[in-house]
Amino acid sequence: MDLFPLYITVKVSLIATACTITVGLVLAWVMAKRAFWGKGLLDALIMQPLVIPPTVLGYYLLVAFGSSGPVGNFLEETLGIEVVFTWKGAVVAAFISSLPLFVKPARAAFEGVGADIENAARLLGKTEFEVIRTVTLPLAWRGLLAGAVMAFARATGEFGATLMIAGNIPGLTQTLPIAIYDAVQSGDYATANTLVGIITLFSFSVLYVAGRFSRVRF
Amino acid sequence: MQRISLTSISILFFLAAAVLPLLFSTVPSLAGDKKHITVAGAADLAFALKEIAAEFEKETGYKVVLSMGSTGMLAKQIEHGAPFDIFFSADKGYVDRLAAKGLVLKDTVEIYARGRIVLATRKGSGVSLKGLRDLSGGSFRIAIANPDHAPYGIAAMEALKSAGVWEQMKSRLVYGENIRQALQYIQAGNAPAGIIALSVANVPEIDYSVIPAELHRPIDQAAAVVATSKEERIARDFIKYVNGPKGTPVMEKYGFTLPE
Repeated sequence: MDLFPLYITVKVSLIATACTITVGLVLAWVMAKRAFWGKGLLDALIMQPLVIPPTVLGYYLLVAFGSSGPVGNFLEETLGIEVVFTWKGAVVAAFISSLPLFVKPARAAFEGVGADIENAARLLGKTEFEVIRTVTLPLAWRGLLAGAVMAFARATGEFGATLMIAGNIPGLTQTLPIAIYDAVQSGDYATANTLVGIITLFSFSVLYVAGRFSRVRF
Repeated sequence: MQRISLTSISILFFLAAAVLPLLFSTVPSLAGDKKHITVAGAADLAFALKEIAAEFEKETGYKVVLSMGSTGMLAKQIEHGAPFDIFFSADKGYVDRLAAKGLVLKDTVEIYARGRIVLATRKGSGVSLKGLRDLSGGSFRIAIANPDHAPYGIAAMEALKSAGVWEQMKSRLVYGENIRQALQYIQAGNAPAGIIALSVANVPEIDYSVIPAELHRPIDQAAAVVATSKEERIARDFIKYVNGPKGTPVMEKYGFTLPE
């Protein structure tokens, strides 16, 4: 049994979730706490991956990140990074599609922390950063964790966009969902069943551990 | 409510310890260091190519990585620089278009099979058909692959038009995204009859009769070496191998026959 798909799935979804949380925290905080022009547009843009079909998203990404695309060309020429048809492509697909699932609950969690309590902290002489660290984040913690778990789950199961941008290359980009699709397509049901068992067990354990952890206070 | 407990910290620590080495380790990749070629192929070919590739690996020492997908998607990926060495297309048209753009090597284009279509009925469905003309009567559903883009779907449509029954029965058609899905509609009994590829028809649930080749344009399936291949020589060898004395019997076993 080749366990590469499990390895690459864990690796890709962890890195993608880390990116999602980093970028998502900033986006969610800005959208919850600041007023600026184009906020509605930005929100609609971030939420797009929830609405458009994953294969269409994958096609956009392939065109943008491909060697002839604007982003892909820049990354390749200046930084020497190849994204499409490598595991990094899978990370990009998982990141983009899991971002809305983190930003939405994180923004709601930040908004749930009232301005009064933050202003109280400011009056007591805390800096903006200290307010975030000691008031906003601890109070928003559960919403953030819930978002992170959703993002991770989405990243693990990402299929359509990954298939387009990273391809179905065994030993290189073939993640668990793609390996399952591949096995079913070619009529190899024994492999498909084993992989389905693995991904079910894996996602179940992750969600269970996350559920336990969410009872802990920050 | 407790503060972060020792247990949860240790759980986290354990997770981190298990996962972090994964992230920084070098990929234990099949496609990594060993000399290899990557073959992009239409999903139908999975079994046949797997068998031939195993033999080829033994003889040459080159690893063959198979990347299976739909022909249209694989062609799109080649246009955007996918690291494939060979493309086995289910439809020669895609290979010709890539060759015209210089994305596959023109002189390596080779037909590896000429597809045949069959009229299939599900056993025990009560539907019995002598020929395509019998499809015009009755109220049962008929499965074919999507004639907008699937080569076997196009051939099925052409055959139905040649037999003069297309207009009468087209409202009863259900389209599979590809030939395997059309087969699944029949196998599951959702459509008691259909037109599918000979290469997938050999399953216990269905009876079939081969449709005369004159009723549709030939379904030529072609392969070619991708222009960006770094293993051009061995890639050429592989195509020759599939069409050679070692590959042909295997291809025939799975219903892919070369034109006479």
